Amino acid sequence: MNVPFQHQGLNPFDNALDRILAEIALSVQLSPSLHEKADGRYSAVRAHLEASSVFAGQIEHFYPQGSMAIDATISNRGTDDEYDLDIVSQLGGRFRAMAPLAILIELERALADYPVTKVLRQTRCITLCYADRMHLDVTPALRIYDRRERESLITHGKGPHPGADDRFVDMNAYGFANWYRERTPLEIRLARAFRDHWLGLDSALHAEAEVDEVPDQTDFPVKNTATLALQLLKRFRNICYVDYDGRMPPSVMLSYFAGMAATPDMSLSDMLIRQARRIVRAIEEANLYGRLLHVSNPICPDDVFTDRWPADRRQQDGFAQHLRQLISGLEIAKRGEMMPDRLMEWLRTAFGARVVTKAADRMAEAVGQAVQGANQSYTRRGGLLFPAAGLAAAPAIAQARPHTFYGIKI
Amino acid sequence: MGGGPLPIAVQRAHMAARWPAFRFGNIGGLRQAARWVGEVRPQFTRFTIELRYRLLEMPEVRVLRPALVCLPENPEGKLPHVYPPADDPVLCLFDPAANEWEGSMSLAETTLPWALDWLACYELWLMTGRWTGGGRHGSHIPSLGGLI
Repeated sequence: MNVPFQHQGLNPFDNALDRILAEIALSVQLSPSLHEKADGRYSAVRAHLEASSVFAGQIEHFYPQGSMAIDATISNRGTDDEYDLDIVSQLGGRFRAMAPLAILIELERALADYPVTKVLRQTRCITLCYADRMHLDVTPALRIYDRRERESLITHGKGPHPGADDRFVDMNAYGFANWYRERTPLEIRLARAFRDHWLGLDSALHAEAEVDEVPDQTDFPVKNTATLALQLLKRFRNICYVDYDGRMPPSVMLSYFAGMAATPDMSLSDMLIRQARRIVRAIEEANLYGRLLHVSNPICPDDVFTDRWPADRRQQDGFAQHLRQLISGLEIAKRGEMMPDRLMEWLRTAFGARVVTKAADRMAEAVGQAVQGANQSYTRRGGLLFPAAGLAAAPAIAQARPHTFYGIKI
Repeated sequence: MGGGPLPIAVQRAHMAARWPAFRFGNIGGLRQAARWVGEVRPQFTRFTIELRYRLLEMPEVRVLRPALVCLPENPEGKLPHVYPPADDPVLCLFDPAANEWEGSMSLAETTLPWALDWLACYELWLMTGRWTGGGRHGSHIPSLGGLI
């Protein structure tokens, strides 16, 4: 029987730089248990709406969009543990005849008594704020029936009264998620390594109050290197713009570039450099023609991802400059030319002090345990391989022997 | 392990087989003393290290490049698990009281890998301030002859 070829991906835990990057990504991504919680909340919100007289029988589809749809969710700007999740509520029936703001107000009314800490009407969605600081954006949408599957119009209405700027905006989040998933297939070695790492951390994470228990049965929380690199890129963006009040480069635009840059069996650091370079090149190309960066949904050109950012050339140049610094730092680190204390400083600046400290602590524990237990092995180039590393790119040439460090305090 | 000390020629053959990137040289033209220099990358950073060994003495490993960074206020000392002097430290890779090394052992299978362990723990120590590789600090440099 012919078995279809599947790319295995590289295990990020085989290489020290990729390992700490993976640990950083792990610290900011939605844990498997929170993922499960989010799924439950989608269902509960839908059930609540369908139980209301206004929405009963009017919801055609209820599906995740944005980062949740492509498993790239990370904590939002300025936080290490708050998550913004998005769902689209595709409406039919009577809603098709209503104005954008009227739909948003109906949705706000139907959710007004929903058991969360706050319900907020935004320009394009209703936000439910949970006590655990998860935010769920429910975006009403109307399907355009003669277009590609689930191409829709979403509501745009600032309120509180109807205004000249109220409109419907074209989008196909569902189609984009499918496009992204097709370009970033499962890399089984990476996915297994990451899932095992999550489960292996279970007992250690138990001790940390802010992290939930990892369920026994989890799907792969990370499926491929491209998405892991995308999470790091988003985190880097969040840190760059942490003290900036205005709009920042949108996640969906970064996801587009991650999808375009995706290629199998690449190391995590190389993939992150590749994604960042692609964005820098696109900005440089736009600058060459004196234009603003323009990125639209590859399967729905009217769904423009850059409609609200960049507002001007200065904004896109600023982001390109940040990305050049990221690329340069990663390249120096890849060459092994940075002493670890300098590397740590650079990682903290790029990805945030708290998560980087946590990642380094986890790595120090793992390395120390392996050395003390003589569980490590060595590569010909003088690298250490640890038991968690699966099929290493560099094969081991020597096994460890137990020994005890000694010395005089100086 | 037991047995007499391995001759330098045997140590050289082991090193060449296991760590071919390390360059060998005699010390002062003596056949009883040797030096190997090579570049390694235990975790994040490339280091050039030197392993010096005289028959019937304790092997010595030094980091030639880059200069080791110290953490002055660290509980492990400003540079953990080394022998002085501070400006030319020798890595201390085994506890002499625990009989972990003797001259009949292969440097390629003990000293060199242990130096890699030290460097890996040192890198994480620089990043976190915590030495997680275990071990102890003593108050004296052991008598070398007792190890052979």
